[in-house]
Amino acid sequence: MTRPDLADRRGVETVYGAAEDSILLADAAVDDVSPEERVLDVGTGSGYVAARVAETGAEVVGTDVNPHACLKARDEGVEVVRGNLADPFRDGAFDVVLFNPPYLPTPPEKEWDDWMEHALSGGDDGRRVIDPFLDTVGRVLAPDGEVLLLISTLTGVEEVRDRAGSNGFDATVVTEDSHPYETLLVVRLTRRDD
Amino acid sequence: MKEDLMDIICCPLDKHDLDLEVDERDDGEILSGTLVCTECGESYPIEDGIPNLLPPDMRDEAPA
Repeated sequence: MTRPDLADRRGVETVYGAAEDSILLADAAVDDVSPEERVLDVGTGSGYVAARVAETGAEVVGTDVNPHACLKARDEGVEVVRGNLADPFRDGAFDVVLFNPPYLPTPPEKEWDDWMEHALSGGDDGRRVIDPFLDTVGRVLAPDGEVLLLISTLTGVEEVRDRAGSNGFDATVVTEDSHPYETLLVVRLTRRDD
Repeated sequence: MKEDLMDIICCPLDKHDLDLEVDERDDGEILSGTLVCTECGESYPIEDGIPNLLPPDMRDEAPA
């Protein structure tokens, strides 16, 4: 399987701009979110998804580890917190959590130590950031809350489903978008009744 | 940050409440200040209107 190296996708940018994946997630979120709902956009990056969802009347907060992303999202009018995943938010605070994670599998020798790398690379298996997200996101979700997570077939859909399952979530595919080397999917996670 | 953000943020380490100390405010917006955990006492800066709630060991870390 060939696809452009990370290096080829990178200019001198430090913040990942809105691309197909962001648009797919934003469209799904706008359909799902109701006005007044409280929404967290993890890894908000440019703030594109958060700003789109805020237009629906929802109360949206964006978070990112990247300080450049935080500034950019703030300039888009997004209320933003610099933090790691959902760590700095209270238990049960959100009706909906959105995440367009770094999901591309990247062998260690191809990794670059910069912010754009951090936004794109999911480590060796593509799930370096997704797994800890799935393990911790339940804490900040309201009882009937849901997660909309963007992944790629390169990330391993079954592996993500299994990890979500072991954290008490059912996963359903909301929408998908086919590209030459991968299909992008938005997966909805809801708490399993048991 | 807006002050009502206080309703949903917490200490990233122990998830306890934070106390807000405002240095600079512009209308409803808090531009700079400090957030201090009421339990562990760790403090987190607010700069350029953005609270930095990374745990201290990640604050100065290089990316990736």
